[in-house]
Amino acid sequence: MTEQIIVVGFGPVAARFIDLLEPVLASGAAQLTVIGAEPDPAYNRVLVADVGVGRASAQAISLSDRAHLEALGADVRLTCTVLRIDRARRLIHLSDGSTCHYDRLVLATGARPVIPYLAGLNPDPLQPALPLGVTTLRDLADARTLEDVVRRRGDVVVLGGGILGLEAALAAAEEGARVTVVHHGGYPLARMIDDGGGQVLAAALRQHGVRLVSGAKAVGLELSHGERFTALRMDDGRLVSGDLLLLSCGVRPRTELAEGAGLPVATGILVDHSLQAHHDEFIWAIGDCAEVRCASCPSCASDTTPSGLIGPGWRQAEWLAGHFTGSLAGTGCAPSSSVLVPSATDTQPVVMLKARGVDAVVAGDTTADLWTAHRNGTAVALWADPQHGRYVKMVTRDGVLVGLVCVGMPRTAAELVLLFERGSELPADRSSLLRLDGADSLPSAAASDPADTVCRCAGVSRGSIEQAAVVGCSTVAEVSASTRAGTGCGGCHGDIRTIIEEHFQKVPAAQL
Amino acid sequence: MSGTATHCPYCALQCAMTLTPSGSGSPEVTGREFPTNRGGLCRKGWTSADLLRHPDRVTEPLLRDDDGAHHPISWDQALELIRDKVLVSRARYGADSIGVFGGGGLTNEKAYQLGKFARLALGTSRIDYNGRFCMSSAAAAGNRAFGLDRGLPFPLEDLGSAGTILMLGSNTADTMPPFVQHLQAARDAGGLIVVDPRRSATAELTSQGRGIHLQPTPGTDLALLLGLAHVVIMEGLADQEYIQARTRGYSAVARSVAPWWPERVQSVTGVPAQLVRETARRLAEPGGSYILTGRGVEQHVNGTDTATAAINLALLLGLPGSPRNGYGTLTGQGNGQGGREHGQKADQLPGYRKITDPAARKHVAKVWGVPEEAIPGPGLPAVELLASLGQPDGVRCLFVHGANVAVSAPNASSVIDGLRRLDFLVVCDFFRSETAAEADLILPVLQWAEEEGTMTNLEGRVLRRRAAVQPPTGARSELWIMSRLADLLDAPSSFSEDPETVFTELRAASAGGIADYSGIDYPLLDSGAAAYWPYPAGSGGTPRLFLDRFAHDDGRAVLHAVSAPLHTPGDGTLALATGRLLEHYQSGTQTRRVDDLLTTTSVQQLQIHPVTAAGLGVLDGAEVEVGNCRGVVAARALLTAAVRPDTVFLPFHFPGAGNANLVTSSDTDPVSGMPEFKTTRVWVRVRSIERAVAV
Repeated sequence: MTEQIIVVGFGPVAARFIDLLEPVLASGAAQLTVIGAEPDPAYNRVLVADVGVGRASAQAISLSDRAHLEALGADVRLTCTVLRIDRARRLIHLSDGSTCHYDRLVLATGARPVIPYLAGLNPDPLQPALPLGVTTLRDLADARTLEDVVRRRGDVVVLGGGILGLEAALAAAEEGARVTVVHHGGYPLARMIDDGGGQVLAAALRQHGVRLVSGAKAVGLELSHGERFTALRMDDGRLVSGDLLLLSCGVRPRTELAEGAGLPVATGILVDHSLQAHHDEFIWAIGDCAEVRCASCPSCASDTTPSGLIGPGWRQAEWLAGHFTGSLAGTGCAPSSSVLVPSATDTQPVVMLKARGVDAVVAGDTTADLWTAHRNGTAVALWADPQHGRYVKMVTRDGVLVGLVCVGMPRTAAELVLLFERGSELPADRSSLLRLDGADSLPSAAASDPADTVCRCAGVSRGSIEQAAVVGCSTVAEVSASTRAGTGCGGCHGDIRTIIEEHFQKVPAAQL
Repeated sequence: MSGTATHCPYCALQCAMTLTPSGSGSPEVTGREFPTNRGGLCRKGWTSADLLRHPDRVTEPLLRDDDGAHHPISWDQALELIRDKVLVSRARYGADSIGVFGGGGLTNEKAYQLGKFARLALGTSRIDYNGRFCMSSAAAAGNRAFGLDRGLPFPLEDLGSAGTILMLGSNTADTMPPFVQHLQAARDAGGLIVVDPRRSATAELTSQGRGIHLQPTPGTDLALLLGLAHVVIMEGLADQEYIQARTRGYSAVARSVAPWWPERVQSVTGVPAQLVRETARRLAEPGGSYILTGRGVEQHVNGTDTATAAINLALLLGLPGSPRNGYGTLTGQGNGQGGREHGQKADQLPGYRKITDPAARKHVAKVWGVPEEAIPGPGLPAVELLASLGQPDGVRCLFVHGANVAVSAPNASSVIDGLRRLDFLVVCDFFRSETAAEADLILPVLQWAEEEGTMTNLEGRVLRRRAAVQPPTGARSELWIMSRLADLLDAPSSFSEDPETVFTELRAASAGGIADYSGIDYPLLDSGAAAYWPYPAGSGGTPRLFLDRFAHDDGRAVLHAVSAPLHTPGDGTLALATGRLLEHYQSGTQTRRVDDLLTTTSVQQLQIHPVTAAGLGVLDGAEVEVGNCRGVVAARALLTAAVRPDTVFLPFHFPGAGNANLVTSSDTDPVSGMPEFKTTRVWVRVRSIERAVAV
């Protein structure tokens, strides 16, 4: 029998889930309905800022193809929302007036931007009606608003020193806009980064043309004619003026649909370790709207609140699609485990600044102090060179990396993130990781030991070539004919020449 | 210069060399001017003639007696024994109880005749070859994308015009050193980009501003390639005009790479996001760009998808079939190209035809003068074939030609167990290889300098191999052996022992196929003509493929979306990559017998990062064990910062306790049948004194 699967929400997590369901759609084991509130099929929300500064087209970040899904028999409804869920009858009521029956309902409603409390801003979180010149940066419509200002190199005021705000700020600055970031705390990313890393990061941002207004508390907007943004007002009366105010104050899971249906909700929609909603065997939730907390299962001591990052959501989508596919195909070939085992990075996500000129990564617990003796095996190693914009902090527990800050050292950062994601132990010599960002490779000193190989291809040592020079070979060709050195790839011709020259320079000196 | 113009016995570069007689000993080897090697040879080539009169040479048929030792018998006795064994096995267990395992080092003539011999004289479908461990993933990806698989679809010299060359998983500075000459222009332009978890000799060529070395953690090449494609699309670097005009499948590929932004690639691969961007931008610069893949990215359970991702990247940039640009895969074995075209693959008939294609069967049956039903259907790919040895309904009698599966196949100890379960094992070799040592019957065959034939090099150019010296009196050519056995088995069709006659038949069999050789003959090759297939009769061959169209029916290349696994959870083990040393070739049967090549590399050495070694208490030169659930390899530790700390490296040239394939897995790529050779999870420990003494 064909099962009706309905996916509510059409963002990147839903798109990944739907992609992986294709085999059961193709086989006819399931029929799919997708409900998307936006006019576009799923796109890569992570790259919305790139569209907003004109670096990428909306087309380029698309993740789903409506025609392809419809060819598989899917019912794709865009610009459509679910008004309510009738759990008793397993029906959903849609904004287009229709109802749909489900056998399995997957909520992937994502998150919405937080609208801060500011005088002049309508703080109705469900129907944000923002004044002209004020936008969030969540969807393609927001991106177009930003793009207009960046294109004419206008003034952009970013409110919020989180990762998304910084990325948008840097991208806009690189594309020629004048950018000011207004944030709490002494430096951006204050919630996750440590003091030293924050200082170095702040300096790097300034160097890349981003003006920082630190330790600031915004209280209201200045509007011209009561409708268009002109400046942000601080609690000390200062004004930061601009053409556009970009609100980047975090996101909040969209839970009202689940809540309205009587499903348990905390920060997100509560689901157990198989991503099933509490107390309803026909409903699941994945991605930014889901909060994994399963009271009965001992491994779930720490619950996973939505991180707002894409990686954990995609992992959930993959696991759930595998779970569905296995049960629908009747092969019992479900994922290797019957529950979704959280990865370390679900609870402690890696935050990596996506920017062209500034490298910064923060992950895990970065607060541990260098000098405090920790009883639980925690240790800290630190490298700071603020003058050159470099800072690395590695927090380990029993040798395993549990927190890191890395600014201005891209190769080290890449390696540390890999080690963090894999839960690997750090080398006892922590400084070996720093050397990755040292001068790329030391200039290879010409071999001076006669036993050193000069020509790898033919396996000829420096001694043999010197000997050839002694018996009279004075050109590379003569040395090659005599020793086979330089007869493979020819890469050592310069070295052979040097050895010959050295020999003939020495000869007269020795004869004197 | 007087002497015989031929080509090196070893790798697919097939360096031109001249063999000049020198008294009673081995002939003298000199490099010969040729577009591929430009007169250069490597250590392996220079010393190749040392093996012609080597004391280990097998010079008469050897039969294992009840005492377990091999004793000489006559050729007549040997051939009659084979006939009897084949007839009994066929009668009792059916023709598929007989198997044939070929090699990518065999000449075109031998490879062609071996496929025909298996199917017509033995009547079995069970034939495959060691190229399955080598080129199968790249071949599958090439066929899927272009409708045709020729390693380099352009002459090697074309690389000389490139400003940028991206090499993925290929260490040519060690494996085919004279090739490096063709990278010079790109190096001079600062545009050599090498992707390798090790700072290999090739990666070292990027130093001092000559290019970029990207050092991903093993098994993440696919994510890296998707990230490069992501940047190409996102930054508007894709050649949309080319994509519109010459490809299909763009939108699915564009969507599939959208999730791989550079920072995400960094967190999976360990390659800094900025280097991903820089590489993509560099490739998109005008000035000629080439993308080349090697076994490092292909010998994985997702090798076909990884090669496909490399091809997709090339297609997005508009490289294949454009002047001064291209994509290619670097074939490894001497005749790895020709060897995969003429029917020693389980699913294939001569001319790169599919054995399941009725038109192909009809054509070949006509050339062979047999009814179509006489040609069996598809057999089993190498890993499955080897797994079936001595099993119920499996292969019970095996012929091995030009391969050393006891060393080169994954999970080697289980392969050796399989060889020992066989009713009868015949190995054709000129040395007592580790596989020959397991044989019931060893048949002594010719070395390269003793035979005539053709080889097809990594460019798809057909070359003449020429006899320069007389073989030992007891050795015979494999064509002769197949010819005699075919007679004894009353095989239909004809089996010539003359290479030129066999080639003439190969031409007819390949005519109209993908790899069409019908316009090539020995006089043409002897004239020095550069003959690149497809070379239909009446044409001038095809040095450059795809200039106007790809080989699919609609003339377009196919962009095929592939996806990378999301997570590789750490389990505290290390990733083992296997590969080659400069001094050795394949299983080392030949090169381990050359004194000059052994001076530096006579023992198995594990390359391990000093930081990793320190953590394990491993000192430089320590005896170590490298192991997992499949086995344990004994090696000596070589501490080097050239490997990543999470990776160790073993060469695959050593037998016995040092055989790297004792730990590799026989898991295979679902499309190509390629085993996973490059990311085996292993532990490393110092060998304790008690164990060391016991071994």
